[in-house]
Amino acid sequence: MTNVDLVRLAGSRGRISDAPTADLVTAEVIRGGMETVCFEMAEYVSRTATTPILNQSNERNATVLDAQGRLAALSVGIPQFMLTSTLPVRFALEFLGVDEFREGDVFVANDPYHGGGHLPDYNVFAPVFASDAAAPGGRRMVLIASIQCHHGDTGGGVPGGYNITANDIWGEGVRWPVVKVLDRGVERRDVLYALQANNRIPSYIGDLRAQIGSAQLGAQRLGELIERYGVDAMEESVDYMIDYAARRFREEVAQWPDGEYEADSYVDHDPLGNPDIHLHVKVTVAGDELTIDFTGTDTRNELQSWSTFGNTRGYTVGQIAAMMDPEIPKNEGFFEQIKLIVPKGCLLNPEPGKPVSAGTHHPGADVGEVIAKAMQYVLPDRAVPQTYKTGIPTIIVGVDPRTGASFTDHSAEVYSGWCNASKGMDAWGALNASFGNLWKATAEINESLYPHVQWSRDYRTDGGGPGEWRGICGSHYQKEVLVDAKVYTYVVGMKYPMPGICGGSDGSPNEMIIRYGSDDEFKVRHTADWVPIHAGERIMYDYGGGGGWGDPLVRDPQAVLDDVLDEYVSVAGASRDYGVVLEGSLEELTLEVDEVGTHALRERMRAERA
Amino acid sequence: MGFRVGVDVGGTFTDLICVTPTGEIILDKTPTTLDDQSTGVMNGLEQLAGHFGIELDAFCRDLDILVHGTTTADNTMIEMNGAPTGLLVTEGHRDEIELRRCHKEEIWDPNYPGPIPIARRRARIPIPERMNFEGQPLLALDEDAVRRGVQRLKKLGVRSIAVMYLFSFVNPAHERRTREIIREEFPDVEHISLSHEVMPRGPEFERVSTTLVNAYVAPRIATYTQNLQDKLRRAGYLGPLLIMQSTGGVMPPDYVSRRAVTLLASGPTGGVMGATVAARKAGIGDFVAIDMGGTSFDICLVRHGRPEIKTDWNWRYRYYIGLPMVDVQSVGAGGGSIARVRQGALLVGPESAGSTPGPACYGRGGTQPSVTDADAVLGYLPVDGFAGGRMHLDLPAARTAITEHVAKPLGIEITDAAWGIERIVNSNMANATRKVLAGHGADPRDLALIAFGGNGAVHAVAIARELGVARIIVPKAAPAFSALGVLVADYVVDLVRSYVTPLSQVDLGRVRDLLTDLLQEVDKELDPTGVAPADVKRDLFAQMCYPGQNFDMSVPVPEGVALDEPGLLDLAERFHDQHLAERGFCFRSQQPLMRGVRVIARGTTPKPDHLAETGALADASQAQRGTRPAYWGDGFVDTPVFDGARLGEGAAVQGPALIEEPYTVVVLPPDATATLDGLGNYVVSA
Repeated sequence: MTNVDLVRLAGSRGRISDAPTADLVTAEVIRGGMETVCFEMAEYVSRTATTPILNQSNERNATVLDAQGRLAALSVGIPQFMLTSTLPVRFALEFLGVDEFREGDVFVANDPYHGGGHLPDYNVFAPVFASDAAAPGGRRMVLIASIQCHHGDTGGGVPGGYNITANDIWGEGVRWPVVKVLDRGVERRDVLYALQANNRIPSYIGDLRAQIGSAQLGAQRLGELIERYGVDAMEESVDYMIDYAARRFREEVAQWPDGEYEADSYVDHDPLGNPDIHLHVKVTVAGDELTIDFTGTDTRNELQSWSTFGNTRGYTVGQIAAMMDPEIPKNEGFFEQIKLIVPKGCLLNPEPGKPVSAGTHHPGADVGEVIAKAMQYVLPDRAVPQTYKTGIPTIIVGVDPRTGASFTDHSAEVYSGWCNASKGMDAWGALNASFGNLWKATAEINESLYPHVQWSRDYRTDGGGPGEWRGICGSHYQKEVLVDAKVYTYVVGMKYPMPGICGGSDGSPNEMIIRYGSDDEFKVRHTADWVPIHAGERIMYDYGGGGGWGDPLVRDPQAVLDDVLDEYVSVAGASRDYGVVLEGSLEELTLEVDEVGTHALRERMRAERA
Repeated sequence: MGFRVGVDVGGTFTDLICVTPTGEIILDKTPTTLDDQSTGVMNGLEQLAGHFGIELDAFCRDLDILVHGTTTADNTMIEMNGAPTGLLVTEGHRDEIELRRCHKEEIWDPNYPGPIPIARRRARIPIPERMNFEGQPLLALDEDAVRRGVQRLKKLGVRSIAVMYLFSFVNPAHERRTREIIREEFPDVEHISLSHEVMPRGPEFERVSTTLVNAYVAPRIATYTQNLQDKLRRAGYLGPLLIMQSTGGVMPPDYVSRRAVTLLASGPTGGVMGATVAARKAGIGDFVAIDMGGTSFDICLVRHGRPEIKTDWNWRYRYYIGLPMVDVQSVGAGGGSIARVRQGALLVGPESAGSTPGPACYGRGGTQPSVTDADAVLGYLPVDGFAGGRMHLDLPAARTAITEHVAKPLGIEITDAAWGIERIVNSNMANATRKVLAGHGADPRDLALIAFGGNGAVHAVAIARELGVARIIVPKAAPAFSALGVLVADYVVDLVRSYVTPLSQVDLGRVRDLLTDLLQEVDKELDPTGVAPADVKRDLFAQMCYPGQNFDMSVPVPEGVALDEPGLLDLAERFHDQHLAERGFCFRSQQPLMRGVRVIARGTTPKPDHLAETGALADASQAQRGTRPAYWGDGFVDTPVFDGARLGEGAAVQGPALIEEPYTVVVLPPDATATLDGLGNYVVSA
């Protein structure tokens, strides 16, 4: 069995230039140029890909790496996915050797155990060459352009890449550690054909070609940049940018109080129903050094959902980035400052071969939660968990009477959930900031595509975790299917909802019921394994709310009154959760805060707590 | 023929361009009156009258046409002080406006606040009712709920009501009935926006956002245009008042106040329309228009003489506007952009010193160094006689600002600091331009650059060199180019009727009826403009998409093409072809959906034969004023300064040189050359 040491692969690479670094203006100009190239690469995919997930919902990242595989610049779709860029490239550099990287080459990789996230995430990358008199042949590789996209299928036992009962990675899809699809500018038809043959979706190969075109465009544009500023200035600028991010990172950490901060988080169960999946973290701040240690995390061999080291690192960095100055450039200098300890064999760094399609999300996403929990009293104003409790999407299959063809509805519709409050701000919108680049479908899009009616996605009154600042209310979601169909999904966040932070209360839990309102309701306990639903019946999903921040008993009573008028909070919830007594009628808009009653109730509630 | 006047209200100045009865072009500026823009407009007209030594009323009597670009809608959204607005919305979809399809602007910052609500949740009333995607009612309209909802909105102090029901663009019956009920329950409501009228397509987030913005700004637009019209009438002007829209066309107040949302970002659109006319006269089809003002840098790609139209992802002031707009993108880079050192990095913009206090060298109390201060320190700007001789630049203040805030923190010389600001802002603008072009798959090296705005002429060559553009046009009217643009823009009526059905099931009779209706409505809308029918060009389109797509593509249906069965097959083929050309792919095996029909009617307005007055001197050396030291990257060089007003057609200037115009300076670095053409443009080679 192949066994690549991902921890070593992720390790620090040295600077390129010994020379004094570029002047800061040149470095800034080159940084802007590289970020523009990343944007152009991502835009190219949007314009030329055919699948909505790529040309509409922004599940793509474009990055520029140096010749050692250090991340220099990027244009991000979803922060947590950005790190799947570097490791597959580094694997290719080590496995094939630098000599196999030739001008005009393009590579494809997707394997989690060779640096990827999960199998549907395909990474396509191309070396950038420039003239260098000292190099053999007068040309050498200076940079690497890389573009990652989530595809709608990747072979394997279940369409769509989420085979959540697979025993191993091979059951989840086809693995491509690295293959060369263009050799010095010439297509390798055999390889492209093999890629095409191992995917269910006819448009897959066209989308992959869009990625290949994007990588070529990136290589060409970066080549022009190098031509303009010279190889030395380019490499010195990359060093400058990486050094700058590293310095800024350490300056931020230096401001954090020294100490060891620990926390635990749990996922309800894996898709097989194994309960109480445990994450443990110890965050150590020592001067300007940050160590994140997941020792103590679950190691049960029978579990189904695992997160590879690369995936774990991605969610770790995503969370740390959300707790720092948002303007620090996200490059290698930022990432390599985090000393990450993840024992081999634990849920967050499995032995090769374990299944990962469910684990990419859980326990993957929960990494952000446990770090935020550990840091809540240290960084109270930044500890907002950048996570979600999706399980996997709700997949509905059936036959559409309008076309006579079978359909697969991934329920990729907008809903609200799991967004915590932050200090000084109630949660807003649908999801956490990290997922703000998503652009999900709506009723008027999907009802013409699939036989269903979306009756509701409104906020649930009292769904948000109470606090001095309130968490987001999750959506009350109802979808009526218009044909007999079957439902496949995995639900978490029922036993362990979003945690409150700094004394805030937890958000409301998830709850999902298939055949909702019928005599034969099916409440999802952990998975729905192709559960039948009949025409005219509904799926109900109460998406969990976000946790609150701080003590709800100190929330401004006027803010509670406003929440009641807006029906984020009920009159009963105001007194139960916030100790705020309201007089008058909500219906008649005559509600007012009973100051005396509120004071008395809050005193009583405080006394009961003590 | 009398006077024709274009007015563009900016943040600092109200710009005016007047075409006289003899065809002369007059450029003027007057301070913008922020509390009521119409005061500034009237002041400007009075100033113009003064040019000709006549009174305002005499000038107004001789005025044939007044075209206006207004920022009233933009200001309403910037200040979020529109009408108190309520929403009646399909039950279960009350919160689409807050969910925003998951979009958040700052993915790295969990403390970034949400947008200020136009209608808070309490003023968003869920109404039981529902259509399916084919427009068949699944649930009847609950009229009592509408009545109760309207009463509640009244109690909340709402003055303007938006209505957004699902699939109303397929079957508007429920929205229309709701409007009748609102009128019964709330006769003095100031405004009602029905979503299917504001934006006749899906999806619902885009439509509810657009409809809410429309309802929010419409009452202020109506008040403002009424006010201005009253003042003009009192001054004796009886002709039409025309207003610029973000679609690039102008129309009377009645038309635009029903579509108030189309006024957003219409200011920059004026400049693009001006550039389009200038380019056409200069024989240029493909170019990028850049407008660098005091606070923002606006970019628009024009190909085949037509500005690119953006149909999706139009965000304005944190709200989604789901209507086609001329694709003008703005970034925070202008003369007022502030340079600062933050954690050891030199940043320029997006924060701006604006017009107050403005750049340090304006001497209005600004102490932060701006791009204009760097321009001044490097010697590009005239210390005396800027802004038509009305403004003196305080060079020591600029030097102090740059020294204190950039040079000292970085430990470098002041000239290097100013040069650093220059390089960074130019590279920011070039990168922003490249991103816009990337969205359309365009390569800057294939394009010309047309630069305008108060600072466009100063930075044009540097930006062009960053982009690899060889040919630059700097119009002499650059500092008031938006005013010129609104004056030369055409009347545009753009109407859509929804009809959603697979192409194979199209009822051709219904399509013909819809088109007939639309053409009649076009005539009705154009009537008040007085445009001659012969000057109106009508283009018909079928709105089409593949099943599941978010956007419609407008496929031309040339007049005379038979709308019959073979015609439909041909239409499908042309849709596939157009999809391939515009989006890079198509699915010939899929059956497209028809989503509606559209008519764009364009009434042409007279265009001036030149765009600015030129001087008499064809030999540039005779127009040289002297020299001043300017910096070009390697020490200060004694640089010739020319009086732009005296340069005549064919005059050529070799860089390094500075050509001073009344309101701007054309900056020519070494190796650049500029030649003045007969239309009033400097043609510059980078």
